[in-house]
Amino acid sequence: MVAGRPFVQNHLRLLRLLRVLGLPLIGLASVAADVATVLGQSGITVSCSKCHADAAFLSRHGPRADALYVTDTLLQDGAHATLRCLDCHPELGDGYPHSPSDPAPCRQCHVPEGAEWEASIHAVEEAAGDAATCLSCHGSPHATYGSDDRRAPTHALNVATTCGQCHSDPRIIGTYFTGPEDAQARSAVGDYHQTVHGSAMSAAGLIISATCNDCHESHRVLPAKASSSSVNRQHIAGTCGACHVGVLEIYESGSAHGSAFQTGLRTPEGLNAPACVDCHSAHQIVRTDEMEWFLGTSVKCGACHAELWETYLDTYHGQVTNLGFGLTAKCSDCHTPHNMRPASDPASSVHPANLVATCSRCHAQVTASYVKYYAHGDPRDRKRFPVLFWPWLFMTTLLVSVWSFFGVHSLLWLNGIRLERRKRGRQSDPRSSTP
Amino acid sequence: MTRKLASSDRGEGPYVWRFSRLERSLHVMVIVSFFGLVITGTPLLYAHTPWARSMIRLVGGFQAAAVIHRVCAVMTFAYFFIHVGSLAYRISRSTNRVAFFWGPDSMVAQPQDLRDFAQTFKWFFGKAPRPRFDRFSYMDKLDYWGEFWGIAIIGSSGLVLWFPEFFGRFMPGWMFNVATIVHGIEALLATGIIFTIHFFNVNLRPEKFPIDVSMFTGRGTVDYLKAERPREYERLVAEQRLEALIAPPPSRAAYLWSVSLGLVGLTLGVVLIGLILWAIIWHA
Repeated sequence: MVAGRPFVQNHLRLLRLLRVLGLPLIGLASVAADVATVLGQSGITVSCSKCHADAAFLSRHGPRADALYVTDTLLQDGAHATLRCLDCHPELGDGYPHSPSDPAPCRQCHVPEGAEWEASIHAVEEAAGDAATCLSCHGSPHATYGSDDRRAPTHALNVATTCGQCHSDPRIIGTYFTGPEDAQARSAVGDYHQTVHGSAMSAAGLIISATCNDCHESHRVLPAKASSSSVNRQHIAGTCGACHVGVLEIYESGSAHGSAFQTGLRTPEGLNAPACVDCHSAHQIVRTDEMEWFLGTSVKCGACHAELWETYLDTYHGQVTNLGFGLTAKCSDCHTPHNMRPASDPASSVHPANLVATCSRCHAQVTASYVKYYAHGDPRDRKRFPVLFWPWLFMTTLLVSVWSFFGVHSLLWLNGIRLERRKRGRQSDPRSSTP
Repeated sequence: MTRKLASSDRGEGPYVWRFSRLERSLHVMVIVSFFGLVITGTPLLYAHTPWARSMIRLVGGFQAAAVIHRVCAVMTFAYFFIHVGSLAYRISRSTNRVAFFWGPDSMVAQPQDLRDFAQTFKWFFGKAPRPRFDRFSYMDKLDYWGEFWGIAIIGSSGLVLWFPEFFGRFMPGWMFNVATIVHGIEALLATGIIFTIHFFNVNLRPEKFPIDVSMFTGRGTVDYLKAERPREYERLVAEQRLEALIAPPPSRAAYLWSVSLGLVGLTLGVVLIGLILWAIIWHA
């Protein structure tokens, strides 16, 4: 390469000169040769390859032989195939033997990605040497592939493994994910594989499923607590909604949760209205048609809707759910999963006018009288549910009084026996009166 | 004098018939169906406890439990109607119909029961001799009428819950709530009375401990009759009816089967009531 570069430059000057001098035929032929051999040359420059494509030579000259080994085969169908060695290693063109030196930063070309990375949590830890840099995720700059290439570490099917190089590493976890708020992050990659997203990706091979970067962004990776993070509560609906378009539409068009979230409503306990992750979690997302989900979700609703949860558990619906079977109605079966609205809202599935339709999803022959069932009746509440209160009070009183009365009767019977036997003992009658 | 495990088989004397084959068969039906109902029903009331979940899985899940519960419900209706039918048949064939409704051989509550009840309470405190019961003590009548009441209440509310579409045509939906409440509490009352009070009165009280199998073998010794039902014994002697009731001793196999069935039932019942109390006290 020492001689190569001046040669090429001189050659170009000569060609231009020939063209200017009106020698088009010679010029045209030369341009064709030029494009093929120099300007459009893909892969390793001929003179660099003398050393860098010679594995035996490299291994004699230092420990980094693998990294320095660059051949046309490695480069030829990669994303950087059209680059020349000196595009990324300009300072190495000055002579040989050259000493190791930093290549030009990737952001020289990848400007927006570089800026996004700069703002990410990955850039922050650069000083400690643990920063995830371009090459951490994209692999070798020589055999580098676009994310749609199956071989790329950033291909959807490989992302979890790529991120897992650090995010499953006990040293990294023990250093950077030690706070109580990092509990989810500590097992994130492992958990992801169990989720509907992860199993769709790894088991079903479905690359349109979500992987790490779909939610966390590729370059501007930020922890959820950062307000500008794509996985911050303020932005999570939009992040999930990028794929779950239909759900976002429902959530944001008047559902109780979506409306409360948009208006910033908080409960007296200071809880936010639920966003996607509050019900679905982040890294434990499961299929919504499976038992695990059926049983887990209703409990989550109950975490906020405590009273409704308690009264639900008193119904047959709730009892069966509580026993671990998902086949009776759970919260979302009546209230819908995303379009839950107060019963006063005519668009609500539990608005009196819609109850027949809602109950009919499971029950046959539902009538207007049938839906006067209290799905959340509280027999202890005399004001709201007098028709439940009085039968409850009567039956409970009957239960307690009858059982206590005869319980005492049985205990007193023991006393009767005791007194009888003591009396008999005093009479020193050796015979038992009972057989 | 033999000292047997079952109080009904202790003491001297020949055996005396106490229960007919039909009555014994019906009682076995009561036991089997009642355990089926309690095991498949109680877990719903204590669904938050670990034992409820285990129990419902043990019977094959809640759908299996629902089927078993309904099968046992049908069995309950069956023994109820067989009993009522047999009563009607016996009354229609009887030459002394009044005895079914009044007197010592009747299940109807009588002034004698009140006197026995009052005397029992005096006896509890050593202020009177032990009451001398006739054929049916007031505790027996409590069990008997309690069962009538229970089957009426649990049966009707159970049918409403079994066929909600049908009953929903002419009942407001909140009747399903009422039926759930009534069914559950009445079931607890029945379970509580049978597994504690009934067990105590017929098996576990000291003079009968641990078991009385006359309801299974159909008979008990004369000594047993004298001790438990002295007034009846004297009446049978006076009316010269005792001879006609003399029975052969139960076969060894019948006795062992009866004791086994009884002890298994007693243990199971006590365990179930223990689980219920545990749920009420620790998981309330």
